[in-house]
Amino acid sequence: MSKKIIALVLAVIVAAIGFVFVACNGNEGTETTTAAGESQTEAAKESDLEYVKSKGKLVVGITDFAPMDYKEKGSDEWIGFDADLAKAFAKELGVEVEFVEIVWDNRIIDLNGKNIDCVWNGMTLTEDVKAAMETSKAYCNNAQVVIIPADKADSIKTVEDCKDLAFAVEKGSAGMEMAEENKFNFTEVAAQSDALSEVASGTSDAAIIDSLMAAAMVGEGTGFSKLTTTDIKLNSEEYGVGFRKGSDLAAKLDEFFAKSLADGSMEKLAETYGVQAALIK
Amino acid sequence: MAILEVQNICKSFDNTEVLKGVSFELEQGKVLSIIGSSGSGKTTLLRCINFLETADAGRITVDGDVIYDSENPTRISQKARREKQLKIGLVFQQFNLFPQYNVLDNVMLAMKLQAKERPDFKKNKKAIYAEIEKKALSILKKMGLSEKTKNYPCELSGGQQQRVSIARAMALEPKILFFDEPTSALDPELTGEILKVIRELAEEHMTMVIVTHEMNFAKEVSDKIIFMDDGVIAEEGDAKSLIENPQTDRLKAFLSKISD
Amino acid sequence: MFDNFATQFPVVFDALNIGFLQTLKLFFVTLAGALPLGLIISFGSMSRFKPLSALVKTIVWIVRGSPLMIQIMIIYYFPGLILDNNIWGTGEQGRFIACSVAFIVNYACYFSEIYRGGIQGVPKGQQEAGQVLGMTKSEIFFRVTLLQMIKRIVPPMSNEIITLVKDTSLSRIIALQEIIWAGSAFLKSSRGISGEIWPLFFTAVYYLAFNGLLTVLFARLEKKLDYFKS
Repeated sequence: MSKKIIALVLAVIVAAIGFVFVACNGNEGTETTTAAGESQTEAAKESDLEYVKSKGKLVVGITDFAPMDYKEKGSDEWIGFDADLAKAFAKELGVEVEFVEIVWDNRIIDLNGKNIDCVWNGMTLTEDVKAAMETSKAYCNNAQVVIIPADKADSIKTVEDCKDLAFAVEKGSAGMEMAEENKFNFTEVAAQSDALSEVASGTSDAAIIDSLMAAAMVGEGTGFSKLTTTDIKLNSEEYGVGFRKGSDLAAKLDEFFAKSLADGSMEKLAETYGVQAALIK
Repeated sequence: MAILEVQNICKSFDNTEVLKGVSFELEQGKVLSIIGSSGSGKTTLLRCINFLETADAGRITVDGDVIYDSENPTRISQKARREKQLKIGLVFQQFNLFPQYNVLDNVMLAMKLQAKERPDFKKNKKAIYAEIEKKALSILKKMGLSEKTKNYPCELSGGQQQRVSIARAMALEPKILFFDEPTSALDPELTGEILKVIRELAEEHMTMVIVTHEMNFAKEVSDKIIFMDDGVIAEEGDAKSLIENPQTDRLKAFLSKISD
Repeated sequence: MFDNFATQFPVVFDALNIGFLQTLKLFFVTLAGALPLGLIISFGSMSRFKPLSALVKTIVWIVRGSPLMIQIMIIYYFPGLILDNNIWGTGEQGRFIACSVAFIVNYACYFSEIYRGGIQGVPKGQQEAGQVLGMTKSEIFFRVTLLQMIKRIVPPMSNEIITLVKDTSLSRIIALQEIIWAGSAFLKSSRGISGEIWPLFFTAVYYLAFNGLLTVLFARLEKKLDYFKS
């Protein structure tokens, strides 16, 4: 009797595992071929806005990323330019907001698997991002800047000076795109902060990270006080918020941005976190 | 009436016939020895009677109660099987004491587990356990182990361990006690103490079946001896006359080989 | 690197403690689930009913033969991405439950092999002795075989359990905020501290202390079972 039950349970597990492999393969195939077409119409069948409203909660995927999303010392509340904007947006929708820390590499599957409803974390709008997510309009300017040890600041001033350096860049980041575009020698690391650690420890000569992040993390009074941000701006780019492909929340957020810019509340928030210069009006 | 009736037991492993129809009877209070070279089937016979193997064919009756019948293979409950099993006891060649229990607990374990099925167990638990302990201590005393009741098996000599295992079997008051080569795992100087215990049991008219290589002992203690060869009973009879005056060539050959 | 150590330490200590609590929670939940499940699986793999034992052995092979990190991701993302039904919810709670399921299944398979070795290592005569003394199968298992089996499995089990303590760090692949996640947060920036690697290195102290404690406990258990030889 009990043996039969065990047999049945085990059979179900095996079937499930088998199904995972089959289904994963199948899914990969369709996603690569019809990334923009089919999945878009599929998601559009059901309004994402209605979905979020019905569960009464907007789940925001973030990482710890000052000044956009971070916690003050001794506080358990997420704050920052992005976090506060997200709170205001949720209020506008009439739902609660929940911040969930994610693994950055997994952000798209977290979205599609409905573990989160949006990625709102100083995300650069690249072509890849726009293809994989439904994105809002850009709301903040950013640039990819070169970080080097402070004592080398005199010898490295132009892109030309960088040709012989060994770079560390975050895997899949806008910084990595720049390194490729400029044909730099580079190593991929897991996070922008890891790239900084590489330079600090001397295992790499230079790093490419977001200018907003560099402003908060590099230089006097920071953890990376022996590093400096060069004036070498490899590009300029823009931050946006990512939703599930086909989601109607993106358009809703654009409306909200327009409204907040009009009444000045967004600029006021930007001033609070020192990013007003980067705000796109 | 015979207390043990074994009829036409057959047993094969894979395609090897180990028992080819073995039948014998034993009277209450008598001692039977089974001799024969290794591979003759005598241990398998013992294991079939004790439910450690299932005979392919045959019928076994203990004290008028059929404990196994291949013609009528009804599935029996664990409880019914336990009742049949408890009519007989078995002492192993390798003792098979439970290493994690001390001597006293080895003897008491099975009794305690059985006591749980008594309807008055919950009410009289303490009294029942006290009774069991008293019984176990008296059997151990009889086996000359009063000093060793709190010792663990690994602290005992082989002879002492085998005496514990006899005490453990005796504690359940079997109608028949089986021995599977009880001295084969012992150093020669330790066999004497085991044979002495079996001799004492025989004097008390305990019904016993002993598989053994000790010819002199078998001759002295048994009422009857069975000589097994190649899965059949090749010769059987009164202990003294069978050893001293073998009839078949096979037994003669076996005895001369043993005495070498 | 250690300039601001004194001011940073209380903040880091607090964060690491919270992370370590999550590590411990996952550790104990995994043990509580995998120890009994492993026993059931070991019975399955020893079953005389051939299709069952073949099935169980195949599962054990798959689970032991593939990386735990992948199993965690499959269990967490499969329902939401493939079945379009995210059973785990959105918060930390769901991640924890998904991780627990992955760890319990994975470790139960490892434990089952250890149990199997332990059970099969107990001499057959022990079971036979119980049988001729009229014990039922379950009485034989619980009163005779079990403790001898435990004695046999304590050394390999302690190895596996110490590995489990360290393996809990794999759960950060789905952002479960265990101690290494907490420690590495300071690499980037967290609670006003950025670019510090020492908190990550310091997490090792927690693992060492906890594994030291486990080693002592297992040594005690081994010693306690030393009174008999099987």
